[in-house]
Amino acid sequence: MTAALGQSARSVLACGEVRTCLLPSFQALDGRAAAQLLRLRADEHVRVSERPTMYALSPEVLTGVDCRLPTSNGSKVRAVGTVIARAALTEGRLLQSTAYFSAPAAGPDTRRPWGQYLVRPGLVEPFGKLPQQATVEGVLRGAGRGELDLGTIAEGLLTQLRRHALLDRRVPFKSRPTHLRWVARRQPEGERASLTNFTVAEGGLRTMELRLPEDVPAAAAAGLCEDLALHDWLLTTVQQMLDNSRIGAADGPSVVEALHPVVVHLLHLWMPRAHVDAALGHLWDVLEEKPGFSRQWEKLSRRIRDRLALQAVTMPHQAFSPR
Amino acid sequence: MLIFAASDKGGTGRSVTSANLAYHRALAGDDVCYLDFDFGSPTAVAVFDVADAREAAEDRGLHAYLIGEVSEPERIDVWAKTEHQVLRDPPPGCGRLVLMPGDVSGGEFATTDDNLRRCVDLLMKLYHEFDLVIVDLSAGRSYAVDMALEATAQPEMSELTARWLVFHRWTRQHVAAAASLVFGRRGIVAGGVHRGHDEEALRGAIRFVRAAVPDPESPLWSQVSPTQSAWMRKTDGDLKQLASTAGIGYSQVLGSVPLEPVLQWREQLITDEDVLDSQIANQETWTALSRLAARLTDDKYWEEA
Ligand SMILES: Nc1ncnc2c1ncn2[C@@H]1O[C@H](COP(=O)(O)OP(=O)(O)O)[C@@H](O)[C@H]1O
Ligand SMILES: [Mg+2]
Repeated sequence: MTAALGQSARSVLACGEVRTCLLPSFQALDGRAAAQLLRLRADEHVRVSERPTMYALSPEVLTGVDCRLPTSNGSKVRAVGTVIARAALTEGRLLQSTAYFSAPAAGPDTRRPWGQYLVRPGLVEPFGKLPQQATVEGVLRGAGRGELDLGTIAEGLLTQLRRHALLDRRVPFKSRPTHLRWVARRQPEGERASLTNFTVAEGGLRTMELRLPEDVPAAAAAGLCEDLALHDWLLTTVQQMLDNSRIGAADGPSVVEALHPVVVHLLHLWMPRAHVDAALGHLWDVLEEKPGFSRQWEKLSRRIRDRLALQAVTMPHQAFSPR
Repeated sequence: MLIFAASDKGGTGRSVTSANLAYHRALAGDDVCYLDFDFGSPTAVAVFDVADAREAAEDRGLHAYLIGEVSEPERIDVWAKTEHQVLRDPPPGCGRLVLMPGDVSGGEFATTDDNLRRCVDLLMKLYHEFDLVIVDLSAGRSYAVDMALEATAQPEMSELTARWLVFHRWTRQHVAAAASLVFGRRGIVAGGVHRGHDEEALRGAIRFVRAAVPDPESPLWSQVSPTQSAWMRKTDGDLKQLASTAGIGYSQVLGSVPLEPVLQWREQLITDEDVLDSQIANQETWTALSRLAARLTDDKYWEEA
């Protein structure tokens, strides 16, 4: 049975994956260079805002897909449509890419002409009924071989950007990329968006579950998740740098060497919800409550400043002339 | 830093030694990634004792990645996934130890532009994430060696520090083979120059590692007759002479690892527990590995001749 176009376009689910890493460039990019880097399409501009932090967002690019959905219960559901990918650069320093799509409750049993998918960018239709819960779990767990893999699309975009001729491919310090997978179940218009789950898993993986009113576009959810992923990356990375047991040891880097990059490149990047859609900004409150993102950041920043200050008192010479 | 581990023949001790070096560096606090590019005979899974994790990963290893079947190669967190009891409790302050396994079904393959592209992307990404990236390459002038030479010759890789370790056993044939692998007409240096490497720089980035070296003075041989003992000393001396003539003498050697009975019997990591508690392994082996591990990044040992 073929559902009517308009009806089937109404999505019940949005899913995405964000990847966050340090831009492989020794100097942070300025607004112009950022716009050049993120110019994924000739026909659309990169959005650059300078305040409160410098933030550049690429135009969206589409990837056509025709494959199985990732499902947790092994049900094999073919799906066809397009996945949206986009990239963002914050303060010319932190690079992110997101791949996301929306899915309706059901789709036609046969493949439509390709043009019909293209007019609804970011929509992936299942053949028949969407196994909603199994798809949610499948996306969060990660795609198997032959399944729609948002991670692959997001990583592919990152890889493409990392190769850009603008970049000198040097990093001011080593760091680990993270990825955040998210799903948003749709709820009736007018209800308040909510964050129902946030987990920190092994291997730099985070997962997040949301409820999203019908009138809030999936792109806004993607933006929120990028913002959370960025701040989570900051927390994780700075924590790791502080935990390096060899700081100050005979064969390790000096305190200044190890922590200077944090002060120069990272401390000023903390700016929650700066670029989040107004309808979703309040979801930050949940994470501020527990685990208390900003409180953690405050604590880390203080520890870093204290260690550097202590260093300056005990070894003033070294503190002011980092190697 | 990138470290490529090569050898002319199989069975030299390349994989087991380089895995132990990765382990030592991680213990010392470095974040280390170990890549099994020994496509013909991937062994790292056994050495790190992560067979179950490997099983779970199916065929999503480096081979599948390089030929474009998967977008990212599987990563195995050794501390978390190993079945080795001692490794499961790494000391506080140690760094990450990540294994990227090869594929069971993977064989050798040619270096196409796409494979090369993916190889460069991966090495670059790992270089920005880990303090040390160790790549175990298939024996001889294999595709793996070609790919490593080709990848490091790319202009965008020029910022990366890459060093080469060439492993060999302590016999006449192995010494000659190691020298020819590096300096021969079809050797690593010639192959590198052909691909655009600067000869001086490449030579300066290659050092030799003598593996499983029997020490005539070791208690292992305390029971041999005086004639045998004299013969061993003489042969050892001859080998040193031969190595030096072949251009892989003392100044080109990063270190040697003594013949270790435990490794003779089993491919594994030598832990401090093996040395101190159960005392099945020799202290000298631990010391040699630890010294070698430190020298990987000690520029003193890498000054151009
Ligand atoms: N120092 C050593 N002493 C004794 N045996 C060793 C030593 N190093 C390695 N071996 C053993 O030699 C064999 C070949 O080593 P391996 O690392 O697999 O070689 P390759 O990777 O060069 O083929 C293995 O059984 C290994 O345990
Ligand atoms: Mg081997």
